[in-house]
Amino acid sequence: MNELINHLKERFPIYDVVESTTGPTFVSLDAAKLIPMITSLKTNHGFKILVILSTVDWIEDGKFQLTYIINNPDEKTDLGIRIFIDRENASMESIHKLWVFAATFQREIKEMYGIDFPGSPGVDDQFLLEGWDEMPPMRRDFDTKKYSEDTFFPRPGRETNDPAEYMKQKLYPDE
Amino acid sequence: MSIKDVIVPFSAWRKVFDKPVTIKDPINERPGADRYRGFHKNDLETCIGCGTCEVICENEAIDLVPVEGIETKDGDSGLRPRVDYGRCCWCGLCVDICTTGSLSLTNAYTWVEEDPEKYRFTPGVDEKPWDNEEKGWKKPEPNYEFYNLKRVTMEHLHPEERSDSFIEMVKGYSKEQAEKEADRCVECGICTATCPAHMGIPEYIKAIRNNDLEEGLRILYDTNPLPEICGRICTHKCEAVCTIGHRGEALSIRWLKRYIADQNPSEKYKTILNSEFIEKNGKSIAIIGSGPSGLSAAHYLALMGYEVTIYEKLPHAGGMMRYGIPEYRLPYDQIDKDIDYILSLGVKILYNTTIGKDITLEELGKKYNAVFAGTGLHLGRSTRIEGSDHKNVYQSIELLRKITLGEEIDLAEKMIVIGGGNVAMDITRSIARLQMKKYGKAGVIATSLETEDKMPADREEVVEAREEGAIVDPGWAPQHIEIVDDKIKGLHVAQCHSLFDEEGNFNPQCNLDNLKFFEGTMVVESIGQGMDLSYLSDDIKHELEIDKRGRIKVNEDFQSGLPWLFIGGDIIQGPDVIHGIANGHTAAKGIDTFLFKESK
Repeated sequence: MNELINHLKERFPIYDVVESTTGPTFVSLDAAKLIPMITSLKTNHGFKILVILSTVDWIEDGKFQLTYIINNPDEKTDLGIRIFIDRENASMESIHKLWVFAATFQREIKEMYGIDFPGSPGVDDQFLLEGWDEMPPMRRDFDTKKYSEDTFFPRPGRETNDPAEYMKQKLYPDE
Repeated sequence: MSIKDVIVPFSAWRKVFDKPVTIKDPINERPGADRYRGFHKNDLETCIGCGTCEVICENEAIDLVPVEGIETKDGDSGLRPRVDYGRCCWCGLCVDICTTGSLSLTNAYTWVEEDPEKYRFTPGVDEKPWDNEEKGWKKPEPNYEFYNLKRVTMEHLHPEERSDSFIEMVKGYSKEQAEKEADRCVECGICTATCPAHMGIPEYIKAIRNNDLEEGLRILYDTNPLPEICGRICTHKCEAVCTIGHRGEALSIRWLKRYIADQNPSEKYKTILNSEFIEKNGKSIAIIGSGPSGLSAAHYLALMGYEVTIYEKLPHAGGMMRYGIPEYRLPYDQIDKDIDYILSLGVKILYNTTIGKDITLEELGKKYNAVFAGTGLHLGRSTRIEGSDHKNVYQSIELLRKITLGEEIDLAEKMIVIGGGNVAMDITRSIARLQMKKYGKAGVIATSLETEDKMPADREEVVEAREEGAIVDPGWAPQHIEIVDDKIKGLHVAQCHSLFDEEGNFNPQCNLDNLKFFEGTMVVESIGQGMDLSYLSDDIKHELEIDKRGRIKVNEDFQSGLPWLFIGGDIIQGPDVIHGIANGHTAAKGIDTFLFKESK
């Protein structure tokens, strides 16, 4: 893996290399360089499998993180590539030409986070949320509690007590 | 559609007689992983119903409900968490925050019911098959904490800096330290019930976190008009029940209170507390004694519009807070800050005025609409051992009073203090300081009946006394004071092995084979204080109900058998400052109710 990382360092502006003995090694990369690097890894370095494409909402930094985990089945190694894109009008190049089923990941991310992948087949189709017209629900500014209060009715039979108030009633009601 | 698409599904039938790849009987024996986040378990004995699990639950799946057989008491709300599995997502935050470590998730994950209501259950109360399951999610140890288990250390003067001076030894928190300490509070409010004054503790700690110290001061004054004083010397019973104390160090509630009071300048108090204009109600109250209960009653009565006059025997106000507690624990300017604010509300104090001598209680009863007496425990108790009537045997409380008054006390190079409470430590440490100043060396031994682990004094008092050069040698019963040629030579003691008999009565037993002799030329007795009720005339005593132990009976408003006479403070409850404050507050409300009814 060291050799590969050194090789990548010479060709691509990778940074924040985090090596692990138990999981994949992670590298961070400028979003614009993702397609060239991941193509090279697939065609020249045996990383034939896309394991997962996942998203983190760094709302405080105004960024989305996309993590591409790829696998080299011959050497049984995983590599995670992290890129960061602006949260506003979030958009990223599609990788469906490298892995056809990446379109499914991208369609899900579009629905859950609102990140666009122009050209990805069916990216605007509904995935899980039929008839959803709210903010994409995995965005951290989506108010889950308010949504459920507005949408569902409360379950009957629930009641609770504030410990301090309850202790006052029980121990010193008149003071 | 090609012919292949039609044929392929049928090709699967070829596998029908192959050995299956699935596990046979998948329903049984499929335990969850060792750290699986399955169904809840709660150790009811350890749980104190602090409700932190309820607060952290993002899904609002937890309610706190009363449970039969679990009593609401100091440090335990009596409530227990009930989980609604219609909402729970098994994230495990309730387990991770649990302040006592009572809550866990087992690795059980199958549960079938017809009635959906059954999925709302109280772990530990409603019996479940997984109650004895050991595997599952527990709070990962160590270093996985949502709050700091350790206190922010309070800085003290070093022993060598303080051993010959009466300068305040506790330095107080900085803003950064106070906010960091306040950040450890989980706002459960378990402490509020235990505080005799039921102070809004989580609320004022929250004010520190929000850096809104004016709001903090208002919260303090709702229930306690002596925050500078209590912020220094309160017995802090609240800290003993603090929920954080179950797995870590309790919040420094007392020091946080001091921080709020210290940070607010006295000249802004009236504006902050909105007490610039008080409408008078035309009634007047006399208060006997300017200790904590009297000052507290005066404060709340003045706010209600009463004309309040305090009668004080000594030349300054504060009672035991000034004349009992040494200056290095409670500086006089801090006492004055609290008292001056109360005086600014229009409260008058008549100093050097003794009831029964300068004016009688009957006269006060006639002159004022009501009287509150908080006269405290100012008489020392004697051991009555042989030699204790010698002129060089002193009462700690008298010496402490003299030190405050600025009078010189008799001092010797070798002195002995009898007593193991906080007052004994106060006089021991004061003597050590004075000896240090006069002789350059501390030479005082404090001894008590109680062994080290049972000494009633706060632990830090004992530790600090030793740091300052005093010897604390507990577990000895005084036998007699040796006197030769009318001079004290020392104190003979015997090992004390039990304090109470089988009925629980105070009856110390000693081992006369294990004797010891403490050398010293002066002895100070500090084994407790009694009340001086000589200001009560026989006529008044006749009207009051007095129990076997000599305590005057009062009702829940601290009203005595004489309707116009309210009594509180150390002579009724305690003894400590915070009970006095609480009594004074309750009595003030009681007086108001009494006079309000009377005028109708």
